[in-house]
Amino acid sequence: MADEQRKGYRWKLALLVLVILVVVFGAIGWYKFFREEAQPDWVTATPDMRFMYGSIGAEHDAGLPYWIFFVLPRMFPEKLPGPGGYASLGVAWEQGQELPIGFTKKVVGFPRVANNCASCHTASYRKSPNDNPVFVPTGPNHTLNLQAFFRFAVDCAKDPRFNADEIMSQIALVYDLPFLDKLIYRYVLIPITKKRLLEREKQFQWVYHKEFPLWGRGRDDAMNLTKYFLLNWPMDDSIGPTDMPSIWNLKKYQPEKGMLMNLAGDSHDARSVIIDSALGLLAAAPHDSEDFRKQIDWLVSYLSEKQAPKFPFPIDEKLAESGKAVFAANCARCHASDRTGTRVPVEEVGTDSERLKTWSKKAAVESNKVVRNFGIERRGLVENEPSGYIAAFLDGIWLRAPYLHNGSVPSLRDLLKPAAERPKVFYRGYDVYDPVNVGFVTEGEEAQRVGTRYDVGERASGNQGHEYGTDLSAKEKDALIEYLKTL
Amino acid sequence: MDERSSIDRVFSRIGLITVVFLVLALLGGVFLLGRFGADTPVDYKDDSDHFKYGSLGSEHEFGVPYWIWRALPELFQDKLPLPSRGWQSVGFVFEPGKDLPVGMSKRHYLGFDVVWLNCAFCHAGTVRETAQSGAKVYAAMPANTFDFRAFMRFLFATGEDRRFTPQDILRQIDTIRKREGLGRLPLIDRLVLRFYGIYYMRERILTLRDRLSFIKDEPEWGPGRVDTFNPLKAYFNFPIEQLPQRERIGTTDFPSIWNQGQREALKMNLHWDGNNISLEERNRSAAMGAGITPPTGDRPRMKRVADWLRKLDAPPYPFKIDKTLAADGAPIYKKYCAECHGADGKNFHGEYSGKVVPIENIGTDRHRLDSYTYDVAVNQNMIFAEYGDERFSHFRKTFGYANSPLDGIWLRAPYLHNGSVPTLRDLLQPSANRPKTFYRGYDVYDQKNVGFVTDVAEENGKKFFLYDTDENKEPGNSNKGHEGKRYGTELSAAEKDALLEYLKTF
Repeated sequence: MADEQRKGYRWKLALLVLVILVVVFGAIGWYKFFREEAQPDWVTATPDMRFMYGSIGAEHDAGLPYWIFFVLPRMFPEKLPGPGGYASLGVAWEQGQELPIGFTKKVVGFPRVANNCASCHTASYRKSPNDNPVFVPTGPNHTLNLQAFFRFAVDCAKDPRFNADEIMSQIALVYDLPFLDKLIYRYVLIPITKKRLLEREKQFQWVYHKEFPLWGRGRDDAMNLTKYFLLNWPMDDSIGPTDMPSIWNLKKYQPEKGMLMNLAGDSHDARSVIIDSALGLLAAAPHDSEDFRKQIDWLVSYLSEKQAPKFPFPIDEKLAESGKAVFAANCARCHASDRTGTRVPVEEVGTDSERLKTWSKKAAVESNKVVRNFGIERRGLVENEPSGYIAAFLDGIWLRAPYLHNGSVPSLRDLLKPAAERPKVFYRGYDVYDPVNVGFVTEGEEAQRVGTRYDVGERASGNQGHEYGTDLSAKEKDALIEYLKTL
Repeated sequence: MDERSSIDRVFSRIGLITVVFLVLALLGGVFLLGRFGADTPVDYKDDSDHFKYGSLGSEHEFGVPYWIWRALPELFQDKLPLPSRGWQSVGFVFEPGKDLPVGMSKRHYLGFDVVWLNCAFCHAGTVRETAQSGAKVYAAMPANTFDFRAFMRFLFATGEDRRFTPQDILRQIDTIRKREGLGRLPLIDRLVLRFYGIYYMRERILTLRDRLSFIKDEPEWGPGRVDTFNPLKAYFNFPIEQLPQRERIGTTDFPSIWNQGQREALKMNLHWDGNNISLEERNRSAAMGAGITPPTGDRPRMKRVADWLRKLDAPPYPFKIDKTLAADGAPIYKKYCAECHGADGKNFHGEYSGKVVPIENIGTDRHRLDSYTYDVAVNQNMIFAEYGDERFSHFRKTFGYANSPLDGIWLRAPYLHNGSVPTLRDLLQPSANRPKTFYRGYDVYDQKNVGFVTDVAEENGKKFFLYDTDENKEPGNSNKGHEGKRYGTELSAAEKDALLEYLKTF
């Protein structure tokens, strides 16, 4: 009897120990892999800061472990476009900030780095070569080489030196990881990160397509990204790199008046565009749908209200005033009328049409389905065939160079020339501003060194079309350009 | 005897053996831990000795076993600029009775006494009154004799040499120890060095050589100079050969580092181009130059150096000063210099003191300025990440050079950021009249012109460095700028004499 009782106790004891072990390991596992820590207060101190550095929840599925992110440029500098670590990718990086704008750091079990909208939507300009850059959140990141960034991550993972020994020895030079974290990095995070990055390679096939021209700085093949990432479609022959757009003042888009968004009017309203872009950054369904909804609400209201920055050089008010009339006579018909924000048939505007071929009604229908299946409600993508480009609002147009949807025309002055007289080759991504021509400096030694070469003869990069106002007199053009600086 | 007890006996024997084994393993573990686990720096009671010989923790990453350090200059004598002078021939300063040079610390780490650099290797120098007098060491002055590149060249040459083998090095160590009346190295040390340490060290030397290989494309630095921020690019592993040529030379004089407290209090722009106003950050950045890494820097000992330097006064001019003449110089200084360089040698307040003057205005050689780029600045933001407040966040790209206070200016020759002007008297000349070439690295003082004697090419076999200010031949070495009426180059001879005398009091 006593024996049996003792046996019973033993069983209970064993069970208890087991339960304690499970609980302890579970707690450690939760702590080390899943616990979420809020970002520090400075991140959300102002709306602009939140936009630039605030997490939108992308760390869960798209986040790189911080220390891997840290050492990659030091280990694989040859896979970057040039010297300068991540800076060589043209990221907008403020002095004093640990990470570039649009790169968010958040602890989910361990510190991770992911991206938010600001990585592609923060503009930078310098008033002269002897100036530091000014950053404009919600402006187009015309310096970012997104394609090089995509390739860098995958290329690193493909390199045999992407292994625990090499990475751990690099980390040891910069941080003394606690013992348990060392094990976690060595046996869990490094192998998983490698695997996840390699999985991307298939989806990124078109990013490596040998016959496609490089996007260059400031451009993104956005609709293909959706097709291959969200829909997992097989690669087709379409290519349509377009300029990163400015995303300030989104309240100007009034869907009830038939206005559409995206360069080709692919989406119904700001909310839909923000949701779809955010899902792209998350690279998966939202981890916490309630939090996701809140993030989207905040972005919608922030981006609705945020206004374009003022032209940072002197403006000749009188000249601008006379340009206003030129604008009214020549531009307002599309750019300040009911037509603004609606599709103009590509046959009419005559600009490069390749971008339209990257998208389709079928893609829109399927994408809407996928997003609906995530449990997200939105008006969504426009379910018809792309047929033209949106007549753009021109607020802050001075900072949106180069011009046309594919960024094929360096400056506003060039845009007022017939296509045949527009520059055929120029360099994009250099951030010194040219207030005379209104655009960035695209020629000269520094522009060539920093920028990427843009050749209007390459696919999807044609600078034809929108040949409006090209026969204005030189005086009228000067006046018009001066007026455009005020927008 | 039944069966059971014999089984018991076997078990008890096994138990005994196990216990004995465990005890032995434990003792062995304790011994090994004691032998190899200790991390004990050599400390000094006196702050100034701590500055000269104390540890910043650079030995953790770069430590050279003490006996190898001793053996290298003997085994590889032929690789030294002046074989008979050992480490001194690359400009290290030895004080009497010391086995390590100024600027080198020792720490017992991983079972060895290992040595490596601290602040003083770049920031301590010597002065002699005449060629016959003894050298006086001044802590925190620019290391006027130390030739960084000669040091590296020697180190790299040893790593490349066939004689860098355990056999040759251990034999050399034995020779030295025998000469000094010591026995052979303990067996365990010999074994570790024999089968691991020496190979590892050679590999590290060659890795460092490759990482810093870009330096050989730069014009010679000579003694007392260093390229501060290009090695940082190498630390980031930037492909330096892809950088524009004009960013690849950043040679500057070592600065003096006394009186840091007032600079900190006035939020002065530190470094030649004024790229940082945080003294703490500047110190950590410099300590990395001496070899610490974020995980391995010895915080308390670094702080001790920093605190001492905050309060340390510049050493007074040790030679005769004509007080009347100096008094005549004071108003001239006030009129021409004080606005930018501070009220006097003790009070650094001035409207533009510690501020950056645009390069167009100062007109001095711009290589150093251009070598520090925006990309470098933002990459620095990740240094010391996850170490709380230590993360760099104050580095800024500037577009000129910072106005420095002139405390102890007499010891800071040659002048301008690149050390292109031998003496203060020369600096008061328009650049066309400044010496085109001169010798650096000689430590005999020139009281008349205020600076070091620069016309001596050689002394007892030691050759000095011929500095050529021709920017076409030696980019980065231009002696232009800091000239014109505003800069005192048009003062009368008498006024210049008075001003120079006054500056000796700083």
